Amino acid sequence: MAPNSVRQIATVIKYELLKYLRGRRLLAIVLLTIIISAIFLIVPPAIGTAYPKDPTDFITRVLSFLGVLSILSATFFGADAIVSEYESKTGYFLFPNPIRKTAIFVGKFIASALVSVGAIGLYYVIAVVSVRVIDGSIPANTGLSFAYSLIYLFAILAIAYLFSAIMRSSVYSLVLTFFTFFLILPIIDAVGSVAKFKPWFSVTFANGISQYIFQNPYPADKVFTTTAAGGPSAGVQTYSLVQYYPEIRLSVIVMAAYFVVAFVLSIILARRREM
Amino acid sequence: MYKTVNALYRQQQIGFLQRECKQRHAEKVSMMESIVIEHLSKKYGQFVAVNDLNLTVEQGVCVGYLGPNGAGKTTTIKVLTNLLRATNGKAYLNGIDVIHHPKAALEGVGAVVETPEFYPQLTPDECLSYVGTIRGMSGEAIAERSHAVLEQVKLLEVADKRTGQFSKGMKQRLAIAQALLHEPSILILDEPTSGLDPRGMVEVRDIIKGLIKTDITILMSSHLLYEVQEVCDKVAIIDRGVLLTYDSVKNLSAGQDVTVTITTLDPITRPEFEAIKALKDVTSVKRTETLALKLSFSGGPETQFHVLRGILNTGVKVVSYMPQRAAIEDVYLQLVPEGEA
Ligand SMILES: Nc1ncnc2c1ncn2[C@@H]1O[C@H](COP(=O)(O)OP(=O)(O)OP(=O)(O)O)[C@@H](O)[C@H]1O
Ligand SMILES: [Mg+2]
Repeated sequence: MAPNSVRQIATVIKYELLKYLRGRRLLAIVLLTIIISAIFLIVPPAIGTAYPKDPTDFITRVLSFLGVLSILSATFFGADAIVSEYESKTGYFLFPNPIRKTAIFVGKFIASALVSVGAIGLYYVIAVVSVRVIDGSIPANTGLSFAYSLIYLFAILAIAYLFSAIMRSSVYSLVLTFFTFFLILPIIDAVGSVAKFKPWFSVTFANGISQYIFQNPYPADKVFTTTAAGGPSAGVQTYSLVQYYPEIRLSVIVMAAYFVVAFVLSIILARRREM
Repeated sequence: MYKTVNALYRQQQIGFLQRECKQRHAEKVSMMESIVIEHLSKKYGQFVAVNDLNLTVEQGVCVGYLGPNGAGKTTTIKVLTNLLRATNGKAYLNGIDVIHHPKAALEGVGAVVETPEFYPQLTPDECLSYVGTIRGMSGEAIAERSHAVLEQVKLLEVADKRTGQFSKGMKQRLAIAQALLHEPSILILDEPTSGLDPRGMVEVRDIIKGLIKTDITILMSSHLLYEVQEVCDKVAIIDRGVLLTYDSVKNLSAGQDVTVTITTLDPITRPEFEAIKALKDVTSVKRTETLALKLSFSGGPETQFHVLRGILNTGVKVVSYMPQRAAIEDVYLQLVPEGEA
């Protein structure tokens, strides 16, 4: 008699984690986290400059690769989670068992979320411990920043998962995930500054709250104006840029919405997908 | 306490599903019918891969599922194993609707579809533990059965090596092992001996023959007609998604002429040739080489024996007496028209 779905999900998580532990990606993420943190901790004394005096400045600097690390985690652990079962034919082994496909895909998602949270968590632990040791205090709002980072992580992991439910090949899914968060959305965010619309709907823009939350007071949108001399006939021109800052509550809602919609959609599509 | 209540509840649920399916079926599905396929169709876009297929496999029967490349064998098997959604029709495993209740229906089923891949980071032992746990087997049961099935498929030596480096045949062996792990009541196999070395084929055939003595039900697609003739009770032949015939191996072979090739020590003389031709039941004789004859007769093993004795009585020094090919092969070649797959 096959156990209920909750116990089966636990089984799927267990074996997914085992696969991650034996694979190279988890090792790569952990090493990267350590190397990135080490750069911020080792380089200043090595070149004879002091660490930032302000613990807030310091932690923001150490955590400045948060976005990159989250995107890499989502790509490594989410972007081929579903497509690989079809593409590499392991589905022929797993699917004909007495288990709901939903249980398989939920289990896989939880496993990838666990390892991603582990990687981001490690980054925060290193950051907090080093700031505590060097500056003697932990910046206010570190906990909130961590919470926001996790919401962002879940959102992009779910989007990566959705890509992996749609795409026909792991490679395309990995590339699409990476470029969406590394290139496409950041470009939209940047265009917003020039074209003067606030990209509140962009998940990468919303993720700014995990960094800005350290600033006191929380920053407000700013307009920068620059004047530049044009050609001989053009005279003097004025350019203006707006530096937009994500609003906290809206951004949390936006990221949570991405997570819920992408997750539900990915499960529906994965269930319908044929081998 | 909770566990037993839970188990009881689930049993009731299965019972309910079975009753529901039975009722819906009026008396057509009995528990003696392990696999029931009714008006099953599967389209890929506009292409009809399986067309209104009806097939019932009684409990304890082994059915060989034959047909040319692209006939729809794998497609049928994928619908039965929850890998594809049927476009139309119904399929029941042990009386449970596999299209609407795959989890319950696949409970007693072991399957090998195409050549499955395994997670390269896991070992055969871990792969088996994975599906064993999903199926609710206890730790001891998994350990005991894993050992038994890995021994059966001769993978015991590599039980703790990662499957990443396994050859195609080793993966096929592991696939068979995982299908047998939980001692299924229904075994669904898609070309089970494909990719195996000659000894592997014999071994797997022997495993299947061993299972046939139990009351397991087997549906097995294959291109190896002698294998099917040797192992299976019944044969279903499908072409372009349409079932052409479904009958027992015995019935199908009965109407077929048997062709045997005889080789002799000395060249056959004219009178000897005529004597052989005149033997009872012999329908045709043809000299193929100086020392070889091909003759056909209708009948079973009994006739085959009498024909041989008749030939020996003519004084011909017979060196070998070999049936040309499986009777099933003739049926197949008659039913399945020539043409591209
Ligand atoms: N995913 C798919 N999309 C479109 N057509 C498909 C798909 N899978 C199979 N087909 C087509 O359906 C038909 C039946 O394929 P199937 O794999 O069931 O054949 P088969 O009988 O198992 O053949 P073989 O003996 O070669 O294994 C073939 O014409 C094949 O091209
Ligand atoms: Mg096939």
